[in-house]
Parts: sequence; C-alpha cells; structure tokens
Amino acid sequence: MMNKQLISRGLAFLILIVCTAAMISPIFFMISTSLKTKSEMLLFPPTWIPQSFQWENFKELFTNDEIKFGVLYQNSIIIAVLTVIGTVFSSAVVAYGFSRYRGKGRNLMFMLMISTMMLPYPAIMIPQFLLFSEMNWMDTFLPLIVPAFFGSAYQIFLLRQFFNTLPNELYDSGKIDGASELRMFRSIALPLSGPALATVAIFSFVWSWNDLLAPVLYLNSQEKFTLPIGMAAMISSKFRIAPWNLLMCAAIMAVIPVVALFAVAQKRFTEGIVLTGIK
Amino acid sequence: MKNGRKLWFVMLATSMLLTLFLSACGKGGSSEGSSSDPVTITYYTIDSPDRTFVEKLIPDFESKHPNIKVKVDKAPYEQFDSKLQANIAAKKSPDITSHFGYGGFMEYYNKGLLTDLTDIMKVDNFKASDYGIQDELMNIYKVDGKTYGIPSNNYVTLMLYNKDMFDKAGVSYPPSDYEDKSWTFDKMIEMAKKLTVVSDDITKTQYGVDFGWGELDMRPAYFGAKVYSDDAWTNGGKPSETYFGSPEAIAAYQKWIGLIWDQKVSPPPAFSKAVAGQFGDPFLSGKIGMSVVGSWSLASQKDFNFKVGVAAVPIGGNKDVRSVLYVDPLFVLKDSKHPKEAYEFIKYMLTTEVQEKSIELSGGTPPVNDNAKEKYYNSFEGVDPQVIKQVYEGANKYGVESYNHLISNYSQLNELLINEFQSVQNGDQKVEAALPGIQEKITKLLERLNK
Repeated sequence: MMNKQLISRGLAFLILIVCTAAMISPIFFMISTSLKTKSEMLLFPPTWIPQSFQWENFKELFTNDEIKFGVLYQNSIIIAVLTVIGTVFSSAVVAYGFSRYRGKGRNLMFMLMISTMMLPYPAIMIPQFLLFSEMNWMDTFLPLIVPAFFGSAYQIFLLRQFFNTLPNELYDSGKIDGASELRMFRSIALPLSGPALATVAIFSFVWSWNDLLAPVLYLNSQEKFTLPIGMAAMISSKFRIAPWNLLMCAAIMAVIPVVALFAVAQKRFTEGIVLTGIK
Repeated sequence: MKNGRKLWFVMLATSMLLTLFLSACGKGGSSEGSSSDPVTITYYTIDSPDRTFVEKLIPDFESKHPNIKVKVDKAPYEQFDSKLQANIAAKKSPDITSHFGYGGFMEYYNKGLLTDLTDIMKVDNFKASDYGIQDELMNIYKVDGKTYGIPSNNYVTLMLYNKDMFDKAGVSYPPSDYEDKSWTFDKMIEMAKKLTVVSDDITKTQYGVDFGWGELDMRPAYFGAKVYSDDAWTNGGKPSETYFGSPEAIAAYQKWIGLIWDQKVSPPPAFSKAVAGQFGDPFLSGKIGMSVVGSWSLASQKDFNFKVGVAAVPIGGNKDVRSVLYVDPLFVLKDSKHPKEAYEFIKYMLTTEVQEKSIELSGGTPPVNDNAKEKYYNSFEGVDPQVIKQVYEGANKYGVESYNHLISNYSQLNELLINEFQSVQNGDQKVEAALPGIQEKITKLLERLNK
C-alpha cells in the first residue's frame, strides 16, 4: 500500500520536474546568453553554461550611449503606469454605468462599444496618426497615454461582467444608509472588485509595456523612446550580427516589472475572493 | 471616512490635471520659421548603428551650411515602412531617405513618392565623376533619363570562406581573381564535396557551400536564364511577362536546389535553422565552408570564431553575371519642402572625406565614391586589402543590380516566392513539379498589382 503511494507520488514528481525543465529551459538559456561574450554567443553547439560570466554585459547595457537603456526604461515605466491609472479609472467608471443603469439604447451603446474591439490597430493607425498630428502631439507621450483615460472596450467589458455579479442587495442597503451613487461606486463596487481591477491593471500594463508600433509612430527623439523600440532597434541591422547577449540582458530587465506586478496582483486575487459576496 | 472621500477627490483631480498638463505639453511644438531662419530637413533611417552614424556627421555639415539644420528620425527595421507611410499621410514627410525597409526603389517611384532631381542637378552642374561615382551606377536610379536617386553605398555579392575548415580538410583556397576562368560552379561543387561531412551527429556535420546568391527570383540569372521580360527594366519595373516556368528557369533552379538534394554539398533548411538558430546565418556557426553572401557580412568578420577569407563568385551559366550589386541610393521625397537643401546634404554625404569617415562611423559600410574605396578595402583586420579590392572590382565588373531595387511590388513578389519555394527547399517537392504552379500564382499576383 505504502509502496504504491510512493510510486505514484514519484511519478507525479517526475512529470512535474520534466514539465518544469521544459518551461524553464528557455529562461535559463536567456540568462545564460546574457552572460556570454559575443563570440561565445555564436558557438555551435551552443554552451548552456557560459565559459566565463560576463556581468559587464549588464553594465554595458546601461552605459552604452547608443542604447541609452536607463532612459528607455524610465520612459516605458512612465507611460505604462499612467496608462494603467487611466485605464483602470476610466474603464471602471464606464463599466459601472453600464452595469447599474437601465435605459433606452443601453444595449445598443454597449454593442457599439464592444464592436470597436474588432477594429485592428492598422485600420485606425493612419486616421489616429492624422488626428494626433493635427493636435500637435507628435513626439510626446500624449498619444500613448491620453487614449487610456477614455476607457478601453475590452477592459470595460471585463469589468461590467464583474460588476453584474455583485448582488443588488448591496446597493439597496447602501441606499438605505444614504449613500450617493458615487459613494456606492467607491465603497461597494470598487472594494469588492479587487480581482477584476487587478486583472485590468495587469492587462493594461502588459499591453502598454509591450506596445511597439504606436510608440514607433509617435515618438521621434531618442530621449523619448521606449523599451520595445530600443530592443527592436538592437536587432534592426540586416547587415550586422545583432548583440544577442545584450538583448538578453535587456529582456531580463524588461521582464522584471511584469513579474513583480503579477506577484503583487496575485495577492489581490485571493483577497478579492475572500471579501466578495453576502452571506 | 473623511479620508476616503478626500482620497477619492485627490485621485480624480490628479488624473484630470494630468490630462490637462499633458495636453499642454503637446502644444509646445515647433513653429515654422520665416525665410531668413535656417531651414530644417529631416533624414529618415533605420534605428541601428550602421545607419544612424549620420547623426555624427551633422555638426560638421551644419557648420559648413549655416542655413540648413538636419534632424534624423529613425525607426526599427520592421516598422520603417509603417512610420514613413503614416508621416507622409500626415503631411510630415521626411526630406531624405532611402529604401531602407521592405520596399524597393520601384515601389517608391510607382507610388509617386520621389522627387525628380534632374533639374536641380542640372542647375547645380552635378557631375558624377566629381564624387567618384561610375556612370553605370548613376543609371540604376534613372527612369526615362530622369534621376530619382543618387547612389551612396555600393554593396556587392562575394564569397566568404572558412579558412580553418579548408586548412583542416587540406583543400586549397578558392581564387579571388574574377579573371580566373577555371573558377566555375562545377569546380566549386567539387571543392565543396571535399569539405562536406554528413553525420548522424549534427555537431559533426558540415557542408561545403551555402549559395545565397541574391533573392530567389535572381538565381536563374546566375545560370543564364531570365524570369522577367526585358520591358521591366525600362517601364518602371512592371514586367509584361514572366518566365518562371520556362525550361531554362527550371534547369537553373534545379542546379541550385541540386546543391542540397543531388550533390548534397549545401545545408537543407532544417540544418541551417538548427545551427544558425536566432542568428540567421549558418556560416557564422563555422559549419559551412563557403558562403555566397552580400558584402555586408564582411563587416562582422572580426566577431567570427574562425579565420575568414574572401573569394570571387564562380562562373555559372552566364560569364557576365556573377555578382548581385546592392547600390543603395538616397532619395529626396516628393513632399519635401526643401528639396534643394536636401540635395545639398546628399552631395555632402558623397564627398570623399565624408564617405571615408562613414566607413569608420558605420563599422564598414562600402562607399560608392571610388576615391574612398581604398580606405574601405583596408578596414578589415586579418583580411588582405588586395584580395578585397580584387573581389570588389571583379564583382562590380561582372555585377547586375539587385532586382529588389528594380522590380515593382517586390516585397509581395518575393514573399510569394519564399513561401512557395519552401517545399522545394525542404525536398518535399521537385523543382519541375513546383514551378508551373508558382508561375501561375506570380502571373495572377502581377496582374492584380500592375493593373
């Protein structure tokens, strides 16, 4: 009996270990490449452990005048943080409206909003570019941040679905206690929506963090470039060997905020589940 | 409770203020200067050090031309065309650029994006010889006798070989003299056979030659077959007929694919992918003996893990067509508000002094100016300058300009060929079976595009 359990446990562990190894190996290779010299990076068969650890690669990444990694990083953070604030705030307000109020044409308006999700970026790229160009917003962060303050169809949809699950009794009791609509939004809807808001925050952060085409279009001066632009530029030469070792350093640095955000937000998920609902 | 309300208002107010503040920032744009102020021209290029070196030349140019300011705009390779397109649509067209992205000269020309420089050059009494540019190279960017682009860089196709691999196999090096008529395609195969080792162990496997001569549509030209009707070279790159299914073209493609599957001296795509991985070129892994490539590969040779030699491309089916030339021009765009000033900057880029400086700043970009070439030949440590010179001069003598600069809608055409040739390169389909279908698809594509 004991033996059987041991075997099945061992087997489960073995499968888990294999899966973990498969998942971790690209990350391991990324870290390993980031610590290689330029010539070792071209070796075949590739080495898993660098012959000598080139910690200077990280230093070079930050000190190289052509890459200006620190500036890229800072710009990306500014844009992403403001985008998250804008998206969470505006989408929550709109979603609350769609969820709470009944009125003529509500569904039509909702459908209209949802349908904007179906427009791919290239379709609106030129008109939007013309608009922001007329507004003289070229070479500023504005075209990347301001739209976030006007809500995002996907996030509004996500939040509305969540708000819909909140029982009406909560609002009724709020009303009895004399709470205004704004107060109910702030004190009832938002605190209970921790997991949904965290999801929206993560999505909008990652989306803004990874966005390449829009920053390329709107930003012209090097001091305003974002991480994805800088990293795409590193592999832009069709005529030279790309500095993959530096690029892997950059990739590691770029992943850190996303992982950190996820770690923080994950806590909110469980908190949200504990707090939600009436008994 | 009070605190909560406060926080709420603070948040609301901050986000509103922020929006206001940010929109205020945006308005501080540049205003167009009056006529006495210096004019600003924009040079648009790829965001990589071998292109953006132009930035370092600007202070010198501006001190020599106090009435002109130059701004460099840049984008990553993949987004280069999108950004250009958006800027032209918004009437914020850059003044100077080149076909740095996917599109070639003819796409720019046919979309009406280029300024005809003929008159400006005539008034200025422009002579190509003053800038050491050969007349044949000037002709590449003329349509109907009108000049739409001025050459600035002169890449060629050459053969790089892995000296270490040759030494180990005891094979003598390939010649660098284009006049050595014994250096033929068949001789190259013979040599490659001695270098090729095919083993079950991929780390021991190596191949003799990787024949990357131009893009796919150019390969028949090397073997003496043509795929585009001659009118394409004079009518703006729109061939009235194509001959991908002709017996000559089929025979040509068979010879090239035969390197992989009949002679077994060239790496199949799967092998190339495996050893080259993210780095793109299997030659860099040291598993390829000879590689026919664009001369830009030479610029990275100091990073190779083996000693590299430079040789002539052997004679194929046409003794006059042995090297693909990639002569990169500079264009003045149609919507430029200052074409004359833009032209001044192009001229500046062509002077011997700047062309020589550019070699260093860009890390080995070949000049078009003959007077600067000597310096280029001497910029590759460990490779004999005389050999590079020989190979370069031979390549230019027996060269043909790359079709991607001359044929209209090249990016779509090339993509179709790459996709369709995959099964042939993988050995899943024979050349003669695949080409009639490819011909049909190309006919349809061109009918649609060149209406």
